[in-house]
Amino acid sequence: MEDIKAYIESGILELYVLGDITPEEKLQVETMAANHPVIKAELDDIERSMEQYAEHNAVEPSEQLRSRVLNSILTNFGDDRNFDAKNEPVVNNVVALPTQKPNNFYKYAFAACLALLIASGIALMNLYNKLQESNTQIAILQSNNQHIANRVNFVEGELGILRDTSFKFLKLNATAHAPAGAAVTIAWSPAKKKVMIDMASLKMPLNDKAHQYQLWAIVAGKPVDLGVFDANPDSTDMKEMKEIAAVKTDAFAVTLEPRGGSVNPTMDEMMVLGKF
Amino acid sequence: MSKKRKISLSEEELVLALRNREKIAIEALYDMYSSSLYGVISRIITDTAAAEDVLQETFVKIWHSFSSYSTEKGRLFTWMVNIARNLAIDKLRSKDFKNQNKNQELENNVTFIDEQRNTVYKPELLGIKELVETLKPEQKSILDLVYFKGYTHVEAADELGVPLGTIKTRLRMAILQLRKHFN
Repeated sequence: MEDIKAYIESGILELYVLGDITPEEKLQVETMAANHPVIKAELDDIERSMEQYAEHNAVEPSEQLRSRVLNSILTNFGDDRNFDAKNEPVVNNVVALPTQKPNNFYKYAFAACLALLIASGIALMNLYNKLQESNTQIAILQSNNQHIANRVNFVEGELGILRDTSFKFLKLNATAHAPAGAAVTIAWSPAKKKVMIDMASLKMPLNDKAHQYQLWAIVAGKPVDLGVFDANPDSTDMKEMKEIAAVKTDAFAVTLEPRGGSVNPTMDEMMVLGKF
Repeated sequence: MSKKRKISLSEEELVLALRNREKIAIEALYDMYSSSLYGVISRIITDTAAAEDVLQETFVKIWHSFSSYSTEKGRLFTWMVNIARNLAIDKLRSKDFKNQNKNQELENNVTFIDEQRNTVYKPELLGIKELVETLKPEQKSILDLVYFKGYTHVEAADELGVPLGTIKTRLRMAILQLRKHFN
């Protein structure tokens, strides 16, 4: 009896009447009501009071609605006897169909858009990579072009020297200090005050890092410094030396000097010598 | 209100007639309960046309699924009002109804707000005044949230910021007050 009183006071019966209850609780309340007349009576009392509360809060619907509602039910009056209670009203089925289609359409459209987006992204990446490649190639070609243009300029310069009649060529031959066969060819233009060494025909022993060859002009018995050079077998150009003021020279000579050159030639190390 | 005499039957007669699917049963059902049910529906759905649609759906559903009702489970009205409330809440939460509501004109909102603020004279609500004095404000607000607005007691606890136990107690006290008042 105590249990039943507690059950009533728990408030579950009120929630049952208000329809605010889980299906399991609902079944439980119905079982309790069937077994205990006290609970059944309490439920009935709550239901009546809520029914009266609803009546007090009643709102009269518009008058046309009565015939509309009754017609909607009574039109198929004869057929309704066959209706299974569990059948959903037809209205619900009609609503469900049209919403299905647009949903699918948007799903596919979205998927298609996404696929298109990814495809264009990949195409764009490929195109970008190719563009980069082309740009690199253009840069390489430009630098090659530049190089060749430089080379052509340079070669034309050298060709100019050979054509220029003011240049005189002189072969400096080996002295006792140098190995037999050592030779240096120079070109001298007194008019242009230029002296050049033909590196292509240079035949000199390789100098070490501490030493360099130095070119001298002997003018009126005195040596004049014309600059230093290395015996580099790879170089093939005409190396331009320091400007020479004298119009007449006795001879040209090359000595081996400490790197950077000396003020006065070390006569012991004279390698080649040549006279006009 | 209506010139035509309204049909009224006892609950036992009505249930029997509905079970036999007699024409008079549905007419009597409408006359006896439409205003009580509409009172609940129209508080959940303020739009008149939509509320009337739900009332129609409610009667259609009552008629078609009447075989699932049994007198042992409780009173007829309790069963019907739950159908009405559930249909109204379904409607309120349906996609169509939400979309439709977004496009409400300003004009409609004026009457809507008027109705909410109770500035419109409603003769059918006259009897409520004495009831309001019977219920304490906090009891009435909870009862109306659950009974008329379709909140669960859990949602009502959230809305009012009150513990679940208190909600249950207040609901019970409110209904006890009503029982005292009506009997």
